[in-house]
Amino acid sequence: MKVLAAGILSLLLVLHWKHGAGSPLPITPDNATCTTRHPCPSNLMTQIRNQLLQLNSSASALFIAYYTAQGEPFPSNVDKLCGPNVTDFPTFHADGTEKDKLVDLYRIIAYLGASLGNITRDQKALNPKDQNLHSKLSSTADTMRGLLSNVLCRLCNKYHVSHVDVSYGPDTSGKDVFQKKKLGCQLLGKYKQVIAELVQAF
Amino acid sequence: MTLNLRTKKIYPTGYFIKYLYKMLTLWTRIVQASFIFLATESIGVLLDPCGHISPESPVVQLGSNFTAVCVLKEKCMDNFDVNADNIFWKTNHATVPKEQYTIINRTASSVSFTDISSLNTQLTCNIYAFGQIEQNVYGITIISGLPPEKPKNLGCIVNEEKNMMCQWDPGRKTYLETNYTLKSEWATEKFADCKAKRDTPNSCTLDYSPVYFVNIEVWVEAENALGKITSDHINFDPIDKVKPNPPHNLSVRNSEELSSILKLAWINPSIKTFIGLKYNIQYRTKDASTWSQIPPEDTSSTRSSFTVQDLKPFTEYVFRIRCMKNDGKGFWSDWSEEASGITYEAKPSKEPSFWYKIEPSHTHGYRPVKLIWKTLPPFEANGKILDYEVTLTRWKSHFQNYRVNDTKLTVNLTNDRYIATLTARNLVGRSDASVLTIPACDFQAAHPVTNLKAFPKDNKLWVEWTASNESVNKYILEWCVLSDKSPCIPDWQQEDGTIHLTYLRGNLMESKCYLITVTPVYDDGPGSPESIRAYLKQAAPSKGPTVRTKKVGKNEAVLEWDQLPVDVQNGFIRNYTILYKTALGNETAVNVNSSHTEYTLSSLTSDTLYMVRMAAYTDEGGMYGPDFTFTTPKFAQGEIEAIVVPVCLGFLLTTLLGVLFCFNKRDLIKKHIWPNVPDPSKSHIAQWSPHTPPRHNFNSKDQMYSDGNFTDVSVVEIEVNDKKPLPEDLKSTDLFKKEKSSTEGHSSGIGGSSCMSSSRPSISSSDENESGQNTSSTVQYSTVVHSGYRHQVPSVQVFSRSESTQPLLDSEERPEDLQLVDNVDSGDGILPRQQYFKQNCSQPETSQDISHFERPKHVSSVSEEGFVRLKQQQISDHISQSYGSGQMKMFQEISTADDFGPGTEGEVERFETVGMETAIDEGMPKSYLPQTVRQGGYVPQ
Repeated sequence: MKVLAAGILSLLLVLHWKHGAGSPLPITPDNATCTTRHPCPSNLMTQIRNQLLQLNSSASALFIAYYTAQGEPFPSNVDKLCGPNVTDFPTFHADGTEKDKLVDLYRIIAYLGASLGNITRDQKALNPKDQNLHSKLSSTADTMRGLLSNVLCRLCNKYHVSHVDVSYGPDTSGKDVFQKKKLGCQLLGKYKQVIAELVQAF
Repeated sequence: MTLNLRTKKIYPTGYFIKYLYKMLTLWTRIVQASFIFLATESIGVLLDPCGHISPESPVVQLGSNFTAVCVLKEKCMDNFDVNADNIFWKTNHATVPKEQYTIINRTASSVSFTDISSLNTQLTCNIYAFGQIEQNVYGITIISGLPPEKPKNLGCIVNEEKNMMCQWDPGRKTYLETNYTLKSEWATEKFADCKAKRDTPNSCTLDYSPVYFVNIEVWVEAENALGKITSDHINFDPIDKVKPNPPHNLSVRNSEELSSILKLAWINPSIKTFIGLKYNIQYRTKDASTWSQIPPEDTSSTRSSFTVQDLKPFTEYVFRIRCMKNDGKGFWSDWSEEASGITYEAKPSKEPSFWYKIEPSHTHGYRPVKLIWKTLPPFEANGKILDYEVTLTRWKSHFQNYRVNDTKLTVNLTNDRYIATLTARNLVGRSDASVLTIPACDFQAAHPVTNLKAFPKDNKLWVEWTASNESVNKYILEWCVLSDKSPCIPDWQQEDGTIHLTYLRGNLMESKCYLITVTPVYDDGPGSPESIRAYLKQAAPSKGPTVRTKKVGKNEAVLEWDQLPVDVQNGFIRNYTILYKTALGNETAVNVNSSHTEYTLSSLTSDTLYMVRMAAYTDEGGMYGPDFTFTTPKFAQGEIEAIVVPVCLGFLLTTLLGVLFCFNKRDLIKKHIWPNVPDPSKSHIAQWSPHTPPRHNFNSKDQMYSDGNFTDVSVVEIEVNDKKPLPEDLKSTDLFKKEKSSTEGHSSGIGGSSCMSSSRPSISSSDENESGQNTSSTVQYSTVVHSGYRHQVPSVQVFSRSESTQPLLDSEERPEDLQLVDNVDSGDGILPRQQYFKQNCSQPETSQDISHFERPKHVSSVSEEGFVRLKQQQISDHISQSYGSGQMKMFQEISTADDFGPGTEGEVERFETVGMETAIDEGMPKSYLPQTVRQGGYVPQ
């Protein structure tokens, strides 16, 4: 069942992510050859750290922009409605090796990326004129795609990891508007919290 | 006619062609073929071409070889009776030489081209239908060009939050439609291509901002019909190519504590959240055009404010700022919007310039003094000047304070010495005091500056001087525009006592003459001013001088002109140029020093029209004045007078001399022109015989002629029968008497005088002496009847004597006149002689004694004048022959008597007197013939 859900989410991620903004993590068999289109840069870890910083620097603004855009009761009940209560959120082991941390990071960013795709889709429908929010969502999603590319390049080139199992959040397409808003707000709250931890870990 | 049918056109079939071929003549076939072709098309029948060319749409590289093949269809070959041999090729309607053809088989012919150079070539395959009608079978277009070159110098710039634009050098022109495609990819995925627009084949802009911190690989692919080529790949992190958005909301704030600082603040672009920035901050004063920049090392880190120091108080500054990634990778942002702020006030940094003028109107014991000063420039005022405070000190303890908002103050001061001080006050404080000494009335200014110079440089009028030996507090420079139309309104400025070179800080105009005065100011008052004239920039005069003539001579002319008014000079007049010429001659130029106002043109031609024009020159050029013409006179001044006056004087002198001469010779003239004619009515003829004593006693005569020298006697032969002389004859005798004898009624002496004329002046002198005594009133006319000579017996011996008592004419009664007339008579008087002889011929009673008296003259006359001689011969042949020797003897005796003879003293005196008045040789026959005879000169035979 989980695997099915993950497959569906991956499909949604593929469908809704902005063209050119990245691609879902390829699922490759363990024995598959890991190759990239061109060699990874030498400062890849620095770029990953900068990307985490970039995400972290904008996470709070995105969170505020989101709940502000949703209107009441969200701005006045952020803690209640936007608490970081996200089930099945991938775990991160900050004390692990670089490879383990990169794998955990990959799973988290993949999860967040898919969820951000759902939120972007919902907000274009719910708040189509809020360009500030859309811009922040888009920029964050793009940065996540870049981070995924760098992590994958690092795992592939240095650790020869070509396959990572990932999980995705719940699908909000069938939920009502408030639930969509609430789930999105909770996810961005979680994102804000997690990205700060990741910055510290790298 | 050739129809150039291109690929996929419809071509006619052969049926109609065949029919027409049979029906029409050869020359109409071409038109008919076209008609059929059109008719076939019009009925909408799709017809296959008779053949085709391979390749259909060739694109070849310039300079390469190309071969095309035309293949005919069997059906056409049958209808038109043609095969591959009948194929001929054309390029752009020109037939290709057959050497380039190759017959492949019965249906196919190829053509080959080497080194294609034309970009677009129309190639057609043609045949001669039925051997004669040119028919196009198929056509293609050969397109030529070049393959793309490898794009070079690929570079990208990431505009923050906007896009990424990449540029490259596309290389040579390909002449073909060439596509340039910008390709990009991450290590894990590839992005959509960016196709360059046709009008900008050297750049392409991605319409999204790339993700930072992920290396992206970019390259350009160029492709056209002749090939495809890819540029070198560049791999970069977009953050290293970013051009941030400029900082915004720049603000400027001053500090009340420090008047030399301004605080800047701004908002950084959003990219600063994950990269470090550095800045460029530039500033300038509001009116300046150039920017100053904060040292880069002071702005090399991310910040959102900055304090600028070392600014001038109360000055408005303008700022701008830009930023870029602090590691230097990437690009500077655009400049932010400018923001300005004013530093806070400070107390005036310098005392105002201070000067005074004493007004011309004086009241008793007081003098109005106008104190003037300059507003401080903003950089010295350091704030808004609220007012000025003026203090006048007459004595050490006597103060007068004035608070003035204006920049002048007029006060009535006594004739004493005053000290004036001036301070300017603003919100923060007051300036130092400017001190000025206003000397007493009797103050004598001295110690002027020396070597005062003024010259333009860098569009400014500089003034330089040498200070006197005295300690100078400051200098006052005054200047004004010199003009004939407006008064000199001076402007002024103050310089420190250490300054010896400065420029006038007024709004000076070009081409204006400035009178600049420099006055040194000493402790005890102003020194003597020194002035100089100068121009900021000279120009050619606006008008030229108007030349005129002051004096025009025959060969020279003095030109004069007025100095140009200063308003039209536009510069210092360096010299004048005078151009003059005649109507046809060359123009002559003369340069004249500017100090002159007149010039003399010399070597001019007389009586000639000259045209003169004159230019005044400054350092920058000259200007001609109006043309002036004058004509030199034909004669110089006084020349006419010099000619006329001497001529007139000469004429007058000549006339005068003539008059004098005539006056002196009036008797002679009178004798010739209107001689005294004795009045015959007052004459009488007396019988005379040699033994009859004369009726008059001529003692002197007797003495004079006592020697009997007169042997020559003019004889008038009167016919024997003519006893009574005619009145006319008597008149003639009188005339004769006027000419040749003294006019004392002695008509008998006339004939003798004629002969004596000029040859014997001594005789004349004797005659004069004699004539002075011969003033008897009786004239004796004698007629000598010629008797023989030397044994010749005269036919008639009759002696007659005329004793006329007729008085002489008026003149005859005056001995002086008579003497003059006798003298004049000496050398000429042909007519009278003629008359005389004629008269003699008709008057037998004319005296013979006259003849003897004037014998020498008579001889001379005879020898010179034929007519006279003829008459004389007729009359007195016998006489001449008879008395020739006697005549000579008598002549000599007379001469001796005249020169050495024992004449009385009174006689000598008379002679001298007469001689002074008349010519010496003019013998005056003053004696009567009978008297002469009586004296022994003549004895009738």
